[in-house]
Amino acid sequence: MLRRLKFLGALGVMLLLAWVVCAEQRFPPPDFESGYRLPPTSAPAARQLWRQYADAGVFLAALAAALWLIYKKRSRRGLFWLSLFSLAYFGFFRKGCICAIGSPQNIVYALFDPDYAVPVTALIFCFAPIVVALFAGRAFCAGVCPQGALQDFMLIKPVTVPPWLEQALSVIPYVFLGAGLIYAGTGTGFVICRYDPLVPFFRLSGGSFILTLGAAFLLAGMFVGRPYCRFLCPYGGLLRLASLASKWRVRVTPDACTQCRLCEQSCPFGAMREPAPAGTGPQGLGAARIRLGWTLALLPVLVAAGAWAGSKLSPAAAQLDPAVALAERYVRQQSAPVQYGLMTPEALSLQRASDNPEAILKAAADLRRRFDLACWLFGGWIGLVIGLKLLALSVLPGRTDYEPDRGACFGCARCFTACPNERVRLGWMPAAEKPAPL
Amino acid sequence: MNTTPFHRALWLTGWIAGLFCLLVCALLVYEHFAAAVNDPWKAPQLLALKDKLAAEPRNEAVQKEIRRLDQKFRQKTRLRLALDQSGAWLLLGGTLALVLAAGKAAALQRTPPLPQPKTDAGEQSLILASRARRSLGGVALAVAGALLLIRLGNPSVLPANQAAGQKLPGQAGAAQTPAEEAPALSEFQNNWPRFRGWDGSGAAAQTNSGTNVAWRSPIPAPGHSSPVVWGDRVFISGGTAAKREVFCYNVASGALLWQRAVEQVPGSPPKVPEVPEDTTYAASTMATDGRRVYAIFANGDLGALNFDGSVAWTKYLGPLKNPYGYAASLALWGTNLLVQLDAGDTPEEGSKLISLQGANGRVLWERSRPVSASWATPIVVEAAGRTQIITLSKPFVIAYAPADGTELWRADLLANEVVPSPVFAGGLVVLINPADKLLALRPDGAGDVTKTCVAWTNEENVPDIPSPAGGGDLVFTVTSMGMVKCFEARDGKKNWETNFDTEVKASPGIAGDRLVVLSVNGLLVLLRAGRELEEIGRSQLADKFIASPAFAGGRIFLRGATNLYCLGPEGVQPAKQP
Repeated sequence: MLRRLKFLGALGVMLLLAWVVCAEQRFPPPDFESGYRLPPTSAPAARQLWRQYADAGVFLAALAAALWLIYKKRSRRGLFWLSLFSLAYFGFFRKGCICAIGSPQNIVYALFDPDYAVPVTALIFCFAPIVVALFAGRAFCAGVCPQGALQDFMLIKPVTVPPWLEQALSVIPYVFLGAGLIYAGTGTGFVICRYDPLVPFFRLSGGSFILTLGAAFLLAGMFVGRPYCRFLCPYGGLLRLASLASKWRVRVTPDACTQCRLCEQSCPFGAMREPAPAGTGPQGLGAARIRLGWTLALLPVLVAAGAWAGSKLSPAAAQLDPAVALAERYVRQQSAPVQYGLMTPEALSLQRASDNPEAILKAAADLRRRFDLACWLFGGWIGLVIGLKLLALSVLPGRTDYEPDRGACFGCARCFTACPNERVRLGWMPAAEKPAPL
Repeated sequence: MNTTPFHRALWLTGWIAGLFCLLVCALLVYEHFAAAVNDPWKAPQLLALKDKLAAEPRNEAVQKEIRRLDQKFRQKTRLRLALDQSGAWLLLGGTLALVLAAGKAAALQRTPPLPQPKTDAGEQSLILASRARRSLGGVALAVAGALLLIRLGNPSVLPANQAAGQKLPGQAGAAQTPAEEAPALSEFQNNWPRFRGWDGSGAAAQTNSGTNVAWRSPIPAPGHSSPVVWGDRVFISGGTAAKREVFCYNVASGALLWQRAVEQVPGSPPKVPEVPEDTTYAASTMATDGRRVYAIFANGDLGALNFDGSVAWTKYLGPLKNPYGYAASLALWGTNLLVQLDAGDTPEEGSKLISLQGANGRVLWERSRPVSASWATPIVVEAAGRTQIITLSKPFVIAYAPADGTELWRADLLANEVVPSPVFAGGLVVLINPADKLLALRPDGAGDVTKTCVAWTNEENVPDIPSPAGGGDLVFTVTSMGMVKCFEARDGKKNWETNFDTEVKASPGIAGDRLVVLSVNGLLVLLRAGRELEEIGRSQLADKFIASPAFAGGRIFLRGATNLYCLGPEGVQPAKQP
């Protein structure tokens, strides 16, 4: 029965695509015979300033509420309702924009384009969760992020991702972050927003590729807790780094750990780490030190190799930029003309290019130079991320209790009430039934 | 399994929600594919009507039926989109119910965990780290592979360095179409390369000596454009809403050598704008530089044709927002084409002057103009030690440098819509502000010269359609009512005037010492182009004439409503009719 229901649910999510595809259809231009002029295409007006500040205020209040619920109330129920509010407000009402996940792009874009001023709201959305993470972990992910809330809501029967795979896949968000930042820095666009697979669901509209990707994430999210947050979200990667240095951290229990492993069972996100005393194991401390030395030596090699490989990526990466893509099409058209239909975007863009090819080619050449540097940095960044992850995996953790990983824990509070100590503290079970510590 | 009523209710709710979602999805998918297959705007009924309209552009009944169908389709589409939106919300609600019910049911069914203590956690963590390192290597390889695929799948044709970039098409160092040398000035002077002759003054270097009809050839398409002549070929344009064409005739025999449609112009919409019947789609006179012949039509299509009739290039410059239809003619500066695209009722509606490379249609420069629509053709003159493009349009006379389009001077002197083109005579730019005055301007200023440039004016019987003709130190004007006047170009002194009391729309022309005036009803009058009034002769042609005469090789070429005429000197025998 349950399996059938899951199947129906999955089918429903997949077919959600069809409706959104329908919503993409547009009218053809009218066939008016005389007099009528098509109105010029116009962009929607900017959101009123007071509304932007209101969004920022709601955002900060939600962050504060998340902190209070995690550290003071230790309430999973409270976080659930806060997530639901965030999903409704930042997701369906604000349609996923403005959003903390894409905001680092605003910052990088402003750094490289002196004509662009970062909105104050973008600054708040970008830095407030990071500052909070530096002190108290990923409270943003716990109850403020609408993407996280949507996936959390879809979770029906979580399965455990093998920890070794989870560790390896955790570098992907940093690759995506690097890509997003180079495209923002070159002025090409905000690809993190463009390829956010969940925002189209908030907007009830989107391209078929991104909708398919989003449906796949939601479908996977029925069984794998928050797959986008764990394996793709670039902002989550930033928060993970900030949380590693957090002053306070989420604790399953303020008391002594009984090592009953109930908290490990309760975490659907694989964030619980088991005890691993330093210096133990068959290989011993000496072997670990040698491995660490080799990994340290490998780090600059990986960075250099990544930078070299990244520099080779530049010609392809630059083609995502509309100006470079137009120059490529224009040059191809000179050597191998392609007949495009009348009034098609391709034909119109080629006509524009042929009006002033020097300008198009010069703009493309300028962008290519920027991409040469950006891809060099991007490749180096990937090498650095992999090298640092290898280093992290070569360091003996030295844990004695079950505890949430500082970087990976979303602070969802599920583990709190799974702990016998917490249940005794809350008066939900008598102290006598608490298992004795090992 | 837990079989409490609450648990059963959860299952039932889940089932109902799931089936509901499936039903809504099926309907939405059906709607989607049905809409994709049955695109109303590709309905045979509508396409047939559009074809019919293309053949009969003035058929009001067809237009009405198309409008009715169009509105019906739009209403249906709006209804379908509204249904889609409703379906989306229903689906969202169904999914919500499904997930809530299934999640709760799964939670009730879940067996509470009973984990056993792990005694080898330390060893396990080392094994885990080892596996994680290996899988990290796998992820790194996968990332590298993905990036490699992206690189290989998107080859670039742009050069890797600046030196190679110089060789790209369009770049300064590129191996482009070999630079064309413009024909010598004498070649332009010996031919009739644009509206009103090589310099736009309406004057030909050669004397025409007769009005004998050498030949007459039918013109297959309507239009008011005047003929242009180069060597042994005379070109003319014509067109309708369905098709715009260029026709090439043999100068000696009048044989139609070829006709070529300017069509499938990139970016040009299939639906052409409506143009008043009095203007036609081919009111603009063509231009030729002896290499190619250029034609522009009222829908904004610009075409360059080689002398053998093949298409060199085409370009869409529209839409042309002109209340009476676009009619300004093309001008030339060497082998560069000049197009004055004045548009709209107000100066903010996108008027511009464009210079294009004749060989390939590449835009050399483009200048916005603070003027409204006009019908005058620009002229290029050598004055005050510089080459100037003189343009007229309400409210400004503006001069530009032809090399880069830099504005040289402007004068706020035109209060009315401008049809007559300017001429250059006696060192002055002579122009007409219709229904107001004839003006002569000194073209030696800079910036705003409104208060300093006017040399003289004359406010008597000012023409509104025909352009003046400039012959050396004299200027001749003809009003629409047939009054002909002769002025001294330098001071505006009137030498003589005469009235033929006939409707005239064609601009007068000067061939040697003869002034040619052509009336709408076919009266052709030859006057001495001098300070004394002297009628040399007159003849009557049985046709209607709106276009201005062209003069080349001792011949006069006239475009009638349906025929192209060649008038030769005395003794030239009429050619055999093609």
